Amino acid sequence: MSDYREENIQNNNTPDPNYWRSFEELYRNEKTLEARHHEFADGVTDDFNPNENLSGISRRKFLALLGASAALAGVACSDYRDKGEIVPYNVKPEEIILGRPNYYASTCTACANACGILIKTREGRPIKVDGNPEHPVNQGKICAKGQANILNLYDPERLQQPLKKTSTGFDTIEWNKADKDIIAALSMAGSKEIAIVTHTITSPTTLKVLEDFKSKFPSTKIYSYELFNSSNRNSAWTKCYGSGSFPLIKWNEAKVIVSLEADFLGVEGNTVENKRLFAEGRDVNKKSFSRLYVVESSMTLTGMNADYRMRLKPEQQFAFVMSLMSELNKKGVISTSLASDYNLDAFIQKLNLDKEKVNHLVNDLAANKGKTILYAGELLPENVHIAVNILNDLLGNKNLYRADSAEVNLINLVSLNELKELTNKIENGQVAAVIHLDCNPVYHFPGDLNYKNLLSKVPTVVTLTERLNETSQYSNYVLPLNHNFESWGDAKTRTGLISLQQPVIAPLHNTRQKEAILLTWISTNPETYSETLYHDYLMKNWETNIYPTLKSKIEFKQLWFGALHDGFALTNESTPTISSINLSALNGVSSNSESNGFTLVLRESYQVGDGRFANNGWLQELPHPVSKITWDNYAAISHNTAKSLNVENDDLVEVSVGERKLTLPVFIQAGNADNTITIELGYGREFSGIVASGVGFNANSLLSAKPEFSNWIYTNASIKKAGGKYSLASTQEHRAFDNPRTQDLHLKRHIIQEGTVALYEKKPDFIQEHRPKELESVYTPFQYNEMKWGMAIDLNKCLGCGDCIVACNVENNVPVVGKDQVLKSREMQWLRIDRYYSGSPDDPRVSVQPMLCQHCDQAPCENVCPVVATTHSPDGLNQMVYNRCVGTRYCSNNCPYKVRRFNFFNFRDHFRDGYQESSIFALMNNPEVTVRSRGVMEKCTFCVQRIEEARSEATRKGIPIKGTDVKTACQEACPTNAIHFGDINGKDSEFYKYRTHELGYYVLEELNVRPNVTYIAKLRNIHTEEL
Amino acid sequence: MNIDYSQEAPAIAGRLSLSEIEELVARPLDTKPDRKYFIALSISGTLLLIGAVCLAFSFYYGIGLWGNNQPVGWAVPIVNFVFWVGIGHAGTLISAILFLLRQKWRTGIARFAEAMTIFAVMCAGIFPIIHTGRPWLAGYLLPYPNQHSLWVNFTSPLLWDVFAVSTYFTVSLVFWYIGLIPDFATLRDRTTSKIKKTIYSIFSLGWRHSSRHWQHYEKAYMLLAGFATPLVLSVHTIVSFDFAVSILPGWHTTIFPPYFVAGAIFSGFAMVVTVLVFVRKIFNLENIITMDHLEKMNKVILATGMMVGYAYGMEFFIAWYSGVQAEQFVFINRAFGPYAWAYWIMVSCNVIFPQLFWFRKFRRSIPVMMVIVILVNVGMWFERFVITITSLHRDFLPSSWAYYKPTIFDMGILLGSFGLFFTLVILFTKSLPVVSISEVKAVAEGAQPTHHGGHHE
Repeated sequence: MSDYREENIQNNNTPDPNYWRSFEELYRNEKTLEARHHEFADGVTDDFNPNENLSGISRRKFLALLGASAALAGVACSDYRDKGEIVPYNVKPEEIILGRPNYYASTCTACANACGILIKTREGRPIKVDGNPEHPVNQGKICAKGQANILNLYDPERLQQPLKKTSTGFDTIEWNKADKDIIAALSMAGSKEIAIVTHTITSPTTLKVLEDFKSKFPSTKIYSYELFNSSNRNSAWTKCYGSGSFPLIKWNEAKVIVSLEADFLGVEGNTVENKRLFAEGRDVNKKSFSRLYVVESSMTLTGMNADYRMRLKPEQQFAFVMSLMSELNKKGVISTSLASDYNLDAFIQKLNLDKEKVNHLVNDLAANKGKTILYAGELLPENVHIAVNILNDLLGNKNLYRADSAEVNLINLVSLNELKELTNKIENGQVAAVIHLDCNPVYHFPGDLNYKNLLSKVPTVVTLTERLNETSQYSNYVLPLNHNFESWGDAKTRTGLISLQQPVIAPLHNTRQKEAILLTWISTNPETYSETLYHDYLMKNWETNIYPTLKSKIEFKQLWFGALHDGFALTNESTPTISSINLSALNGVSSNSESNGFTLVLRESYQVGDGRFANNGWLQELPHPVSKITWDNYAAISHNTAKSLNVENDDLVEVSVGERKLTLPVFIQAGNADNTITIELGYGREFSGIVASGVGFNANSLLSAKPEFSNWIYTNASIKKAGGKYSLASTQEHRAFDNPRTQDLHLKRHIIQEGTVALYEKKPDFIQEHRPKELESVYTPFQYNEMKWGMAIDLNKCLGCGDCIVACNVENNVPVVGKDQVLKSREMQWLRIDRYYSGSPDDPRVSVQPMLCQHCDQAPCENVCPVVATTHSPDGLNQMVYNRCVGTRYCSNNCPYKVRRFNFFNFRDHFRDGYQESSIFALMNNPEVTVRSRGVMEKCTFCVQRIEEARSEATRKGIPIKGTDVKTACQEACPTNAIHFGDINGKDSEFYKYRTHELGYYVLEELNVRPNVTYIAKLRNIHTEEL
Repeated sequence: MNIDYSQEAPAIAGRLSLSEIEELVARPLDTKPDRKYFIALSISGTLLLIGAVCLAFSFYYGIGLWGNNQPVGWAVPIVNFVFWVGIGHAGTLISAILFLLRQKWRTGIARFAEAMTIFAVMCAGIFPIIHTGRPWLAGYLLPYPNQHSLWVNFTSPLLWDVFAVSTYFTVSLVFWYIGLIPDFATLRDRTTSKIKKTIYSIFSLGWRHSSRHWQHYEKAYMLLAGFATPLVLSVHTIVSFDFAVSILPGWHTTIFPPYFVAGAIFSGFAMVVTVLVFVRKIFNLENIITMDHLEKMNKVILATGMMVGYAYGMEFFIAWYSGVQAEQFVFINRAFGPYAWAYWIMVSCNVIFPQLFWFRKFRRSIPVMMVIVILVNVGMWFERFVITITSLHRDFLPSSWAYYKPTIFDMGILLGSFGLFFTLVILFTKSLPVVSISEVKAVAEGAQPTHHGGHHE
């Protein structure tokens, strides 16, 4: 700069007399004078070529944009709706990155199976539950109840404050005061009994707390019960083998499975594991198929999947097993004299069974000796189980009992006699206090125990519960509990494995963990409680009692955090060996008396369990896997029985067992045994919140404390028409079987294509013969050269359980619509399981088919939308643009699969007066999925949010996205891995094999809409080639 | 029967003089409405109000108040839409096509029929808008330039509908208004009330009955008639495309366009007869709207009714002939399935009862024709019900079948549409000439030069 000045001064001219800003100017340097005419000094604008760097915006356009943005900014700011404060983290929590989910391993305590779960949290709030993939038992899968449990966490009707009963009702009370009162009452108990009523205990540390409690208050007695349990099966086992409980079964290795009234795929045992193992045994790729015989009284999920199914009243099961034994003996397959009183032919004759099927069964049992398993249902009485154990033993089936793992029962369940003793003690005033530990005995206990009324004779009744229930109504203190996801804990249900449970969110309400409450009472000082009380106790118990047994080489802290991370710790525990059978167990066991009247079978609900999940709308609305009925239970009877009673669907009937009566609607279930009434329990809750109110009928009232046959089966029932109707809400229309116009349409239209294993072996591509040719198009179809998403569903694996439906609901923020809307056929589930019957109503063949958006290449929904609200993506997805949708419903009309769902109302507002609009529910929604408004069409998106997440992840890594990067919610949840998802063009993927499978077909192919969901035809493992 | 076929029957009866015609038609406009008028208006107004209340509820809570469900996405509102568009067919057909065909008998009924067309299309136009899930966004159906560069989908028949119906409405309205101009002038010249005079003056656009005016008028009227004629055929053709373009069995049929047009004329004529029978009686127009006119309309009803019957039969034949199982099932299900009652109402009302019109006696009997035309109206409503609902309620996958039941709100809105229609009709009878004065004068005896014994010889 200085040189420049010097130079100019030297070339000086006449100075400007007026004003000057620099010497250059003063001496009128020509360069300077020239430069004055330019806005910018030379060189300054060299990097600023407007044509290159400013994308050629003209002045005009710039002004237009300026004006427009000012106007837009003005408009946009003028009506800003304040949606509340958005406060950034002051101190950012470790682990949380906004917009990215965190996963925590934990344990599900919704039932006694204690499966390992992985909880997905976003910004610190749990939004989805999946199975823990590393957990050895459930291996990444979790049942519908476990998944829907997230809704229970956010249920606005959870009890939020401790309550104390007053003369007028319940008042809130401080924890300290409640604790103080209760501690005083417990301390005063003296020799009088303190009864703790609880469900089964799966947590060793909880058990330790209870032991501590017992040593503090020595008069304590623990009554552990489950409404449905395997006590008959286990006691039969003990009688046969001396000790232990019934082992786990290698369902995957069995060649022939004979299920006697057992719903091992539906409600018995760890169904997630059972389903997986069962499906492993039926693999079309390995060409290995087990054969499932089901002999049962009512159509169950297991029965639906049978290769051969026979109807039999439960009281005939014992004779059936013995007759089989006698026939096998006669054939020389086994040698026993135990069944000499029985004759199979006579049995078949008497009960009019299908002789051919029974013969197949006998031959299969004989031919596959050692690879067959007979399995009796937990509802059946002990004698059937003994007979089954013996027959299994004689057939050499013991090697199908699993040696790698066995069930562990930490606590023995009480018998009905023990409960009777408890009520006697209460009656005699010998009980000082009853503590209900997260259970609902008033609802669950047989009515003739009169437990409900007796509670008034107990001075102190404390109920620890998540939400008000029938039992809390009769309690002096009702204390709110943490939800599963707010709690610490551990669980031991299997040998060789301890699971850990950790909280993923701080308690939403003023609730406490049940163990911490007990520990506070044990300390007799209400001030002992702290939020870490049980956590410390749990850790200490692990350190002192569990860690040494693990014989781990790493130090405790490391093990603890490792186990916490994994959700479980493995132990070197051996499985009890099975000793030789005591055949005399059958001595003195007599055949059951036959009843000519009606037999009542009370089963566990598929949806709401024993009633614990009654306030869960997702589960209430989950269609029953067999009948497709939602929001109710009913008396299921066969069509012959219905004819003889002269009743139709929805007619009210009165079912009575002795003095106990219940009026409920009837449902004619195909495949039910005649003169058998099946009712599912878990419904008819009186105090469970507004979701459960008025839902179903409380059939627990039919339970007896002195059952003659089994706790759940009553052979002396009667039924009569009560007059009147009650609408059952089903998601599928029920049509008459014998109407030739509607019969077997699913077969005529090739919606369901099935074959047999024998046919497949002979002619592997038999399905392809029926497939129509793809039609020529006058237009050039879009070429999907890169990624194209598709799905393949293996109908050999799909059991129709519906776990995927709940997973989809949770993932995609699907609202609950309520019974009135299901009655109007407006359910919102994006995924449904279609169930079809073929054959006769007595012996139907059941086919199931998951149905979801087929993402057709030539989607008929797309070209009829007047506003282009549904479009196709270049990666083959049929998309919904919610903001653009005006709701003409033309797309739904034109969808041949009818998978589109319309928001006829704002269902969140419409259902139970805005119950789902409660602000706490907003926490539950998946933030990646739009919550749809009224008047908008919606449908399955192939979990597009997951695809996009995977795509960003791939982009971040700089690699192309692969088909295996994405798992849809339904795929993730499917316990049998029937659903496969991936890239249709990824020719080397596993998915591609399914996509091009020789058994693959599309539904309604002849319409030429080119769907992208391939169905792998179901093969039935029967003896003939023809179905 | 001694009918002289060599002589054209006079278009109007009773040898009315030109001033008598004027007097007769204009009388309702000059007199104060009587009690009966208000009773009629209050009945139709009540219906309208019922509809408005039902609609308000539907807007507030959502269309979930209706019976529509998952397979049956379109139901009674769409049935109503097609029904009213159909009713709106007679007017333009009478005024345009019959005009071009030089059918003089049309003059007595054209005005009224045209008015009914306009009112019916107004009723129809409500339904596509209210039946959407988010009616406040109905503007998305119009192709307007916007900052999102979002455009409508021209492959969707619903969009064609938007254009077809709005064009039809506009053209019908203009056509109707052009026809009204000379009558407005006549009324302007007759009236003594200052307010009326101002209003009539504005609407008569300075008409002075000059020859030049008449010349332009005739040309314009002719051109508009020519313009409206294809629209009569196109509107219902396009409405039928809503169904025919889909892939749903029972909808996906090539016979739909002619079948719908025939059905529309059928129902439109039935509705015109229904209303005219009352109008000619109440306003003493028996000489202008003569029994001959009614008989001719009944003949059209008979003819179009048979076309519709043919279409019913042909649908079954094609379904059977196609060999497509789903197609066959839909038609058998229509006749014998859960909605058989609706199907047989349709067949009996549309095909069987109109056969009585083969007999001249019945064609000319007011009570008989009243019963038949009302049955035809009912039958045609059910035709649309059958097409829309029976096809949807049981389509391809038996798993998604469901029965549809309309709710009280569906029915309330249907009543409301009748309320709107009749309210407009009733108001029309007292505010505008229900018969075209100038056109009727033109066909009055002696109004035109003639070759038969006139004074020009």
